[in-house]
Amino acid sequence: MTVNGRARWTCRTQVASVAAGDCLEIAPLNNLPVVKDLVTDMSRFFDKWAQAKGQFQGARSRREDFARVKPDSPQRRAVDAAIECIGCGVCYSSCDVVAWNPDYLGPAALNRAWTLVSDVRDTARTARLAAVAGDAGCHACHTHMSCSERCPKHITPTAGIAGLKRAAAAAALRGEL
Amino acid sequence: MSSRSETLLWIAQRASAAVLALGVVVHLATIIHAVRGGLSAAEILGRTHGNYGWFAFYAVFVAAVSIHAPIGLRTIVAETWGWRGAALDALTLATGIALALWGWRAVFAVFG
Repeated sequence: MTVNGRARWTCRTQVASVAAGDCLEIAPLNNLPVVKDLVTDMSRFFDKWAQAKGQFQGARSRREDFARVKPDSPQRRAVDAAIECIGCGVCYSSCDVVAWNPDYLGPAALNRAWTLVSDVRDTARTARLAAVAGDAGCHACHTHMSCSERCPKHITPTAGIAGLKRAAAAAALRGEL
Repeated sequence: MSSRSETLLWIAQRASAAVLALGVVVHLATIIHAVRGGLSAAEILGRTHGNYGWFAFYAVFVAAVSIHAPIGLRTIVAETWGWRGAALDALTLATGIALALWGWRAVFAVFG
């Protein structure tokens, strides 16, 4: 929900910490269609996760052994920094680019894509980079960092989006996109 | 426009921005230096005429502007008025060509 003009994880926010001058104005999340009162339709938000190819694609079957990923490897650390997203939509609601371009995938979907691009087990890297590159994807981000400032899980989607920009640019220069 | 084309445009804008960052510093420093020395326009032109170094510098400067500005304007137009597609791409290209022609015309004039 939006509390005093700012998107928040309201079920974990105490009134005392946000009520300014005994005044509390609550509203539905921005950038999402309102169903009724405080309820928004989040289907477009989650459709964009699928559009950004947010599903893991592995090469191993369930009969094979677990993949070994070193916890202190740079790729695993990049995943750790971004994996705890709860899909609350606060970042999406706070994003100016979503307001300007309704097709923009948004910080949450791009953050999810970044966790998979950084996942050494994933096999759909190139297709995912193609899905998230461009005008409606990572390259549209203006680095305003509202998503990172307001994420209740203290994730920094801006850093992940910057990682996607670099990875997509490198793939484009190699002729892979 | 494809993901690849959009990504290449992004690379072109960042690369031209890097060139402009250096170019603007050199340009401003030169202007300040020239004015402090009390040079007239005629004296400045006297130094730039036939100078291949300044010709090359400003030719590259104009090329960077002609790449950087239209791509940025394309984004501003798309995000402000929601105008996207082939017509906007054509306008972007036309803006880049116009900036390049006007800029290089000035560079040739200063070169002599």
